[in-house]
Amino acid sequence: MRRFHALSQRNAEPARVTVELVAEVGPGTSRTGFLERAVVAGGALVSGGVLLAGLPRLAASAPSPEQDVKTLNFVLLIEGLQARFYAEALRRAQLSGETREFAGRVGEHERVHLGALRDLLGRDARSLPEFDLGDTVSDPRRFRASAAAIEEIGLAAYNGQATNLTPDALAEAAKIASVEARHASWARGLAGSTPAPRASDLAASEDRSRESLARRGLLERP
Amino acid sequence: MRIGALRLSELDRGGAVEETASRAGALTRRGLLGGGAVLAAGLAAPAAEAQGSDEDILNYALALEYLQAAFYTEAERLGALRGAFAEQARVVGAHERAHVTALRDALGGAAIRRPRFDFGGVTEDQPAFRRTAVAFEDLGTAAYKDQAPRIRSRAYLAAALRIHSVEARHAAWIRRLAGVVPAPDAFDEPLPRRRVLRVVADTGFVTSAPRTSAFGSPRFTG
Amino acid sequence: MSRRAYASLGAVLCALGVVVVASSSAHREPPSPLGLPEPPPPAFRIPVPRPLAPDRDLARWAPVRRATTARRAPGADQAAVARVDARTPEGTTNIVQVAGRARRAGGRLWVRARLAVLPNGTSGWVPRRSLGGYTQVRTRLLVERRALRARLFRGGHVVLTAPIGIGTDEHPTPVGRFYVRNRLTSYRSPAYGPLAFGTSARSPVLTDWPAGGYVGIHGTDRPERLPGRVSHGCVRMRNADIRRLGRLMPVGTPVIVR
Repeated sequence: MRRFHALSQRNAEPARVTVELVAEVGPGTSRTGFLERAVVAGGALVSGGVLLAGLPRLAASAPSPEQDVKTLNFVLLIEGLQARFYAEALRRAQLSGETREFAGRVGEHERVHLGALRDLLGRDARSLPEFDLGDTVSDPRRFRASAAAIEEIGLAAYNGQATNLTPDALAEAAKIASVEARHASWARGLAGSTPAPRASDLAASEDRSRESLARRGLLERP
Repeated sequence: MRIGALRLSELDRGGAVEETASRAGALTRRGLLGGGAVLAAGLAAPAAEAQGSDEDILNYALALEYLQAAFYTEAERLGALRGAFAEQARVVGAHERAHVTALRDALGGAAIRRPRFDFGGVTEDQPAFRRTAVAFEDLGTAAYKDQAPRIRSRAYLAAALRIHSVEARHAAWIRRLAGVVPAPDAFDEPLPRRRVLRVVADTGFVTSAPRTSAFGSPRFTG
Repeated sequence: MSRRAYASLGAVLCALGVVVVASSSAHREPPSPLGLPEPPPPAFRIPVPRPLAPDRDLARWAPVRRATTARRAPGADQAAVARVDARTPEGTTNIVQVAGRARRAGGRLWVRARLAVLPNGTSGWVPRRSLGGYTQVRTRLLVERRALRARLFRGGHVVLTAPIGIGTDEHPTPVGRFYVRNRLTSYRSPAYGPLAFGTSARSPVLTDWPAGGYVGIHGTDRPERLPGRVSHGCVRMRNADIRRLGRLMPVGTPVIVR
């Protein structure tokens, strides 16, 4: 199992020089890998590689290592969809200019998120379904509108699920959540709408996130 | 490890923030209250155990929102911004004011008072405004991210996360307008409170009230 | 191969395809929701963002952080108009009313400031760096010499009306646009009542008056002489009125005398 600060180390080393604001993030006191503790807490998860689905569903919503694993698996699904969406768009949507730069950078971020989440989850990572992207990447205009929608759904999912995480897991998920918010803002700007439509962002439950994706044909209804 | 989200020095090539920072230093040497000393004094006051309570965290957020709200409101009132920048200041200013209202209401009698600000020209000059807005929004995002895992009440956390992502949207928005990559890294890093306060202090934007009252005998024309 | 054979082969391939797709998706996709709990409702609501109210009555002032020279136009090489001190004769921080928008000259920002110097109404450009932060006020004091009354407006509405004493014909209260510079209390000069505001207006005739002959707005120990033309240029009010004004009128408020 990876320790949590694996996530931050995956930031590409910025080529630009930062003089003043280089933070010393030492071996963190509170940064013990929460998944290591998850393993201790829920030994069954690891020992037999038992699928999560086989575990009794937790009734309580209080954050727990077991719930962290489930929650990260849910955002893994969303990152998987996003990574696939941008990869397809770069192949098929005939993008150019800023839209192409957007798809390239954001697609790279989503791939990094996906890989980081998979690393964190290890054997507890669920496999991803085939995503049917339909005509979302058929041309630049549809791509921009779809990107805005997908980023909004992703952000609302993070905002909804982060409250259910243990503090250590939350600290890591928040590093991704605000990047999704940046993507949503950028996508909206590209699509010609206001980048920040409200003073308080939405937070969606798992059901609502799935429904939003299903409505766009991006995810099958269970 | 580098802080990915915040590169004040890089953004501040024109030296606006550096200029105000050195100016704050000069004022301090001359015996006037410099920079964020007021803000820091107000926030560092709670005892060690009180620091980190939910109330303390909300007050810290309120202090940063006061700063942002005052910045955009003054820029809009002074009317020195044009086009997309004026639009950004108008919309984002309304968001920040809504955040201030919400946090003050939530804190009730425990809310800290609004400090006095001296933006030293950055609200009335578009290039300086642009640099400062980028730095502020990246800073706000990094500050919320640092505090989120410390919030004990999940209901407060739910509210704070929704603001956190709005700050990230603002950051991406102003970065795009400024011609800087809206989402520079795959992960946004948190910034600890003492570093945030130092950045704020170095700008010199938080100032003391001028003395406009006295007890001496009037020598007006009578 | 017959057409029928093609068709049946096609059907078989199709069926295989379906099986393959179905089995792969059954194998790869765990479509079951994870059963995550609902997010908790936020502890507080963020109100709907509201645009700034248009406010034509706003005036802006700034403290003078360091003494400087006001110039005829933006730029250090422009002709000097007046010296601007960091302190008033009363020992308070000097303030200036700021008008219009900053301009850039010689790599610096300059702002136009109304100055507390003679001739009354003088303004000049000062470096933005010599000033502190802006404060906005929504109040405005109108001093009407003919009607011998003062009216305080806030956001365009009258919030106080008071009869006043003004300067005699020999020592008139100057006409023009000024602002409140400071506020004095707890002194022992009964002639000035309990509270005195200092303004940026100066008597054009009493130039050798102690401390510069600035026009004040203050109380009185001779209320029976109000309203009237009784002072050396100051605006006098009954003590009850000046106390109310003291609660309603912040420093920096524009004062219009006509």
